[in-house]
Amino acid sequence: MFPKRFVLKRLLLLVPVLIGVATLVFSILHLSPGDPALTIAGERASQEFVERIRADLGLNDPIWVQYIDFLGKVVRFDFGESYVINRNTTVREIMANTLPVTLELALYGQLFGILFGIPLGVLSAVKQDTLTDHSTRVGALAGISVPIFWSGPLLILLFAQVLGVLPTSGRISSTFSVSPIRVTGMVTIDTLLAGEWDMFKSAVRHMLLPSLVIGVYSMALISRMMRSSMLEVVRQDYMRTARAKGQGAKITVLKHGFRNALIPVVTIIGIQFGGLLGGAVLTETVFAIGGLGTLLVEAIEVGDYPIVQGTVLMFAFLFTLVNLVVDITYSYLDPRIQQ
Amino acid sequence: MSTETLRDGEGETTSRGLVDRIRASPFLSQLLSNRLALAGLAIIVAMLVIAIYARLTLDLDVISQTQLGTNPNRAAPSLEYPFGTDGQARDLVPRVAYGAWYAMLFGTVTVGASTVLGVGLGIVAAYYGDVTDNVIMRTMDVLLAFPSLLLALALVSIFPDELGLWRAVAALTLVYTPRFARVVRGAALTVLENEYIDATVALGATDPRVLVRHVLPNCLAPITVQSTLNFGLAIIDLAALSFLGFGASAGTPSWGLMLSNGVSQGLLTGIWWWSFFPGLFLALTVLGFNLLGDGMRDALDPRMREAID
Repeated sequence: MFPKRFVLKRLLLLVPVLIGVATLVFSILHLSPGDPALTIAGERASQEFVERIRADLGLNDPIWVQYIDFLGKVVRFDFGESYVINRNTTVREIMANTLPVTLELALYGQLFGILFGIPLGVLSAVKQDTLTDHSTRVGALAGISVPIFWSGPLLILLFAQVLGVLPTSGRISSTFSVSPIRVTGMVTIDTLLAGEWDMFKSAVRHMLLPSLVIGVYSMALISRMMRSSMLEVVRQDYMRTARAKGQGAKITVLKHGFRNALIPVVTIIGIQFGGLLGGAVLTETVFAIGGLGTLLVEAIEVGDYPIVQGTVLMFAFLFTLVNLVVDITYSYLDPRIQQ
Repeated sequence: MSTETLRDGEGETTSRGLVDRIRASPFLSQLLSNRLALAGLAIIVAMLVIAIYARLTLDLDVISQTQLGTNPNRAAPSLEYPFGTDGQARDLVPRVAYGAWYAMLFGTVTVGASTVLGVGLGIVAAYYGDVTDNVIMRTMDVLLAFPSLLLALALVSIFPDELGLWRAVAALTLVYTPRFARVVRGAALTVLENEYIDATVALGATDPRVLVRHVLPNCLAPITVQSTLNFGLAIIDLAALSFLGFGASAGTPSWGLMLSNGVSQGLLTGIWWWSFFPGLFLALTVLGFNLLGDGMRDALDPRMREAID
């Protein structure tokens, strides 16, 4: 049965958190040192221009008017226009172009993490305390310890510079133009939808290294969780019962053990998604992929506040949304926590 | 006070007594029998030695100065320059070593500050409950709603540029505080259920006394585990902020900044040693803390203890 009451309760609890998130993002602009209008206009701008920006930003209004105004903007997801990075373009438009890039990266990283993390975790649990188990566990810890801005450059040096088999940066070879076939904004999907086989191949080749470096982190966390969850399940009474009924060891582990052990792993997918988004910022920087993360970094550097507010809120929103979905999925899989 | 007399007994601990105490503590004996955790501890000690040695023997001004004309420029690793030289002909060995000092110093401050803040908030929330609890924990929820590195990025912009790495420290302290508050609040709630707390309160102990003398000492284990695991994260995040340009000021021998240089200038020219050595030390240090923290967590989890016995 779909846990209607749980979902409703969870959604209601979300409201104060989202208001808090918006309040925090609002205060960042006001706590920043210096005059935001001056930062945006630049040191040599005329007084007139600075005043216009100040009026545009509503900086002359009392603080509570600005706050209410900002909450209204958040609800409409309208942060006005960019001041520095892409003048006269709305923040919404800029984000519509960059968000799919980051999502694509995060999705492939997540996919990599699940595809490799789950089997590794099971293997580690089944072979508990053997060399396989130890090396998988150390490997997982190493995966969490290695920074993306180290593994990324080294892989680029190896595969792109030394071996010359993969591209160094970007999302697709510059000989192709993806804008005419744009549907989702994710190159690997758009090229496939358009049936452009060569373009698709190029997009996939560009995606391999970034998804690998970002995916290792989630692979490590997932395999650890899968291992301990599997070890816990194996000790349950129903496992012994199944074996006592005469069921083979392999079938019992797969049919009863694996499926039940997967449930807690769902939660780790939500928890590590935040790390994945943070990792996307670093991965985009290393591989020169223009996504939401590089946009935020650039916006902070030049003081493009509307973009800073929009992107930070978008990241918090994504993270919260994923965790909501994970919570609901979990309560569906394990109805005990609905209480 | 009766607690004072009890504590006096500790003074008698001899080296033999210490061994007995370690044997008697399931946590310590478990931890010390975990070879991976010990390997982690060894890495941390080695990095600490490098860090302190670098701080005491190296002159920051000298290793920050350009060595063009004195040293070969962009030299690949050799016997004379084991880690090679950078774009200003500076020997990378002392720079990478000094990076250990930065990582340890700023990592300690970040973790220390967020531990103190988080522990304070968590214990107060658990003890007073009600509105206090709600206000504190809902605020923590808001901070936890952001992906950590992105919240740090947003917060960094509040602090003036001149602060250099200190603004990254300030931002990350705020980012990590909720994790400590959560862990400590949970642990404190369990401790508060014990009868000795009621007894202490009945004896007339003041709130601060109950919290500091009775609740806090009983929450130390989960706090230590969380701090250790967070140490690795703090070092990586500090480097990440420097890498993205919001940490160490230009020229500082911090690992994150050296890696940023390696990517922006060394990548397309194939100069691998600019990225390789600082990153190797960074990854090793983080791995050390993760190995130790992981071992501590296992040793603390009674279910794990049962499984191994």
